[in-house]
Amino acid sequence: MDPFEIEFIGENRIVSIIPNFSHDKIFLICGEFGPFRAGLPMNVPLWLAVMLKQKQKCRMVPPDWMDIEALETIKEEEKISRFFTKMPHEHYMIEAKLILGVAAEDIPRAAEIKTIIKDIWDIRMSKLRTSMDALMKSGGSYGRLDHLTMMEINSVKPLLPQAMDELHRIKMMTRQTSSSTLNSSTFSQSGSSQNK
Amino acid sequence: MSSSNYLSISDILVTNEKVPCKFLLDLPKMGFLDPSAAENDLKAGTNIEIPLWLAESLYTRRPPLVSVDLPKIYKETYREILNADACTVDMHKLGQHFYELGCYIAKHDIKSEVSATLLNTYRQRFKMILSATVSTDSINSVQPLSASERERTKSAVVTERALSSWLKIGDCPLTTASMIANHRKRKRAEMELS
Repeated sequence: MDPFEIEFIGENRIVSIIPNFSHDKIFLICGEFGPFRAGLPMNVPLWLAVMLKQKQKCRMVPPDWMDIEALETIKEEEKISRFFTKMPHEHYMIEAKLILGVAAEDIPRAAEIKTIIKDIWDIRMSKLRTSMDALMKSGGSYGRLDHLTMMEINSVKPLLPQAMDELHRIKMMTRQTSSSTLNSSTFSQSGSSQNK
Repeated sequence: MSSSNYLSISDILVTNEKVPCKFLLDLPKMGFLDPSAAENDLKAGTNIEIPLWLAESLYTRRPPLVSVDLPKIYKETYREILNADACTVDMHKLGQHFYELGCYIAKHDIKSEVSATLLNTYRQRFKMILSATVSTDSINSVQPLSASERERTKSAVVTERALSSWLKIGDCPLTTASMIANHRKRKRAEMELS
């Protein structure tokens, strides 16, 4: 999948904004939002928030997790832990990128937050690489993807499944030849055509 | 890697690889197969290299006309090197279709150690694909990879590029700057034309 498609999926996340205009409820495919009251915080999908922000129609409320201290602890945990730790949510990178991109002035200490999120991302990506290599070396037949976000899983996507596929195929092809002489009774249920 | 794919080009290429074979029977009028032979007939006991597709069909006859030997990359000496450190081997030179040919050849290995070597080699060399994907020195890092490994690398690079371009877009000032630069250039080019 293209990263932009995942961004599109992630844009459906609900975020808080403070509009500076008043409007009735609006009805969208993904639900109804509003009514908009100037100065009162409300929840809208991320894509709508970005659109309104670009038109200077609202102020973004920083999401709970976009906080220097909280992110510091996540970063430390991520550094210490051998496994992937739980992220604030599935699309943290997309939310961070979009909000910090269009509404950096609404977020306190935006530059620092940007750096920390990038650090966390980099730590996780390098961890992903090393664990992929370790998975192949150890000869494991499956990998656990706990706490990996969609964007991160997508980044290994053609390579890792293809490699596992290929390993499996080599295993099956080489095993078939050795087993066809040893035990021919295994296939008897599925028909004897398998036996040479 | 598709063994049963009749029309797959890569499979055709794999089965066209030459394997050393020993003929078990005298074959009349087949001397042309052996370029060094002067006679018309092919003698039993001759060792020549023939394509895998031919070897396979001669081997499956009853009684078999040939006994298939392992190509040198699957032999004991190379197996030892591969098991020690597969990453040092230049697969592009030694075995373009190492894994695919290995799958075919594995059944001719009496000790059946080829299969373990194939798996082990693949596991070890996965690291090389990973590093070739992110490497800036793409020529040197891709060079020692076999044909199928190159395929993998190519598709991994596409993902990698897409992701890094996604990360750069938006809050990176470079994109707008180059766009403006292009725009000016275009204008200048237009002015020069008119």
